[in-house]
Amino acid sequence: MDVTPLEVAVVGFLLGGVFFTFVTAVGVIRLPDVYARAHTASQTDTLGAGLTLIAVALVLGLETTTVKTVLLVAFIFVTNPTAAHAIARAAHEEDIEPWREDR
Amino acid sequence: MVVPVGESVTLRQTVTYAVREALSGAGEPVVHFVAPVAWHDIGDVAAGVREETEMLLERVAVWAREDGDDDLVVETTVIGADTYLFGPDDYARVIATYADDSGIERVVVDPQYSPGGNVPILRPMEAALAERGLVVDEAPVDRPTRRGRLLRRGGALQFATLFGISFLFYQLLGGFAGTRFDVATGAVSATLVAAMLHRVTFTDRLGLRTLGRRLVRLVAYVPYLLYEIVVSNLRVAYVILHPSLPIEPRMIETECAVWGGMPLTLLANSITLTPGTLTVRVHGRRMMVHTLTPAAREGLFDGALERAVRFVFYGRPALAVATPRERDDARIVEDDDGADGGETVVSGPAGGDA
Repeated sequence: MDVTPLEVAVVGFLLGGVFFTFVTAVGVIRLPDVYARAHTASQTDTLGAGLTLIAVALVLGLETTTVKTVLLVAFIFVTNPTAAHAIARAAHEEDIEPWREDR
Repeated sequence: MVVPVGESVTLRQTVTYAVREALSGAGEPVVHFVAPVAWHDIGDVAAGVREETEMLLERVAVWAREDGDDDLVVETTVIGADTYLFGPDDYARVIATYADDSGIERVVVDPQYSPGGNVPILRPMEAALAERGLVVDEAPVDRPTRRGRLLRRGGALQFATLFGISFLFYQLLGGFAGTRFDVATGAVSATLVAAMLHRVTFTDRLGLRTLGRRLVRLVAYVPYLLYEIVVSNLRVAYVILHPSLPIEPRMIETECAVWGGMPLTLLANSITLTPGTLTVRVHGRRMMVHTLTPAAREGLFDGALERAVRFVFYGRPALAVATPRERDDARIVEDDDGADGGETVVSGPAGGDA
């Protein structure tokens, strides 16, 4: 079976994306409070989606759709922090104390 | 009386009114013209703003002398240069502080005065001034005021820029097919967008050169941000997958050395984008950031991202600004006790010495 370098790269990026998405799933379960979980949520959005979309762009090659894929990443990078900040801010307004390991 | 001044079409009339009022009132005729500015002493933007403001004040002083007689005393000052002016309250605060220091109780406001660029802050500023016990009075000017609407200063250049960007983006999504349909619908959409938004999209009056330099530096910033994101992602992944979950979450508070809405937004978003740090609150330049691990905390104290954002907006001179740690601008928030030590709550035999 022939495997081109491109396919290796694509699979590599996909695995990376899956890995970070998996880490987020684990993190959401393991981490103690809303603030800590917001940290791990940005992992899916940045590297999880980012690496996966890079793989998609590689498969598509030079095409208009590729540009749209890159734009998708750009928009995620703008909306993710906005959403994470909104959640954290709401939690803080509700006077939710951050969890600490020493109390 | 105090008259806050800034570029406006009715400034000349306001000066005349203020001078007349000062001369007709009882006591010594003194007019203080103050120009509130929000700059900081670094970078290529600040120099231009400083010069412009000083020239404006000089012009106002000349006008006031034209209108007044020999008894009139004219004072001009730049105020607020050392603080971050953001909302109406900030402007009211620096003006009121100046008035208090000079023993003045009356403020004359130019109805077209717009210190917040495109953001309408005049009316709330007047309310805030009145709340501080000052007599606020708008200069009667001929030109009808257009307050209440979100528009100002939008010109042909803004329209053209916005039209160009929207049109290009439309064609990009259409794959630059170049068909007559695409071009026509693109032109219609871009016209609509530009017509509706060209007065509110651009808040800063920036020269093309400044804008171009910032764009180039922004392009250099993106790979750096990506690198930071990858590194911190790996760090957080390690912590999460580690069997003992070695996290030490702390809220920290830092006074950022960036000024203005755009730089602060870019910094706050970049901080949130890197796993391990999360912006929770922003008050002016003061940010509350939740940090997951000591390593993430150290990164924030060292201010690498802050420095990079400063570089994007102010160029090379901004790199010389000290880190938050050196400035003593970042600290760990220890609950409501407000104590600074690390062991406020740990109950031990040494308790009670605070």
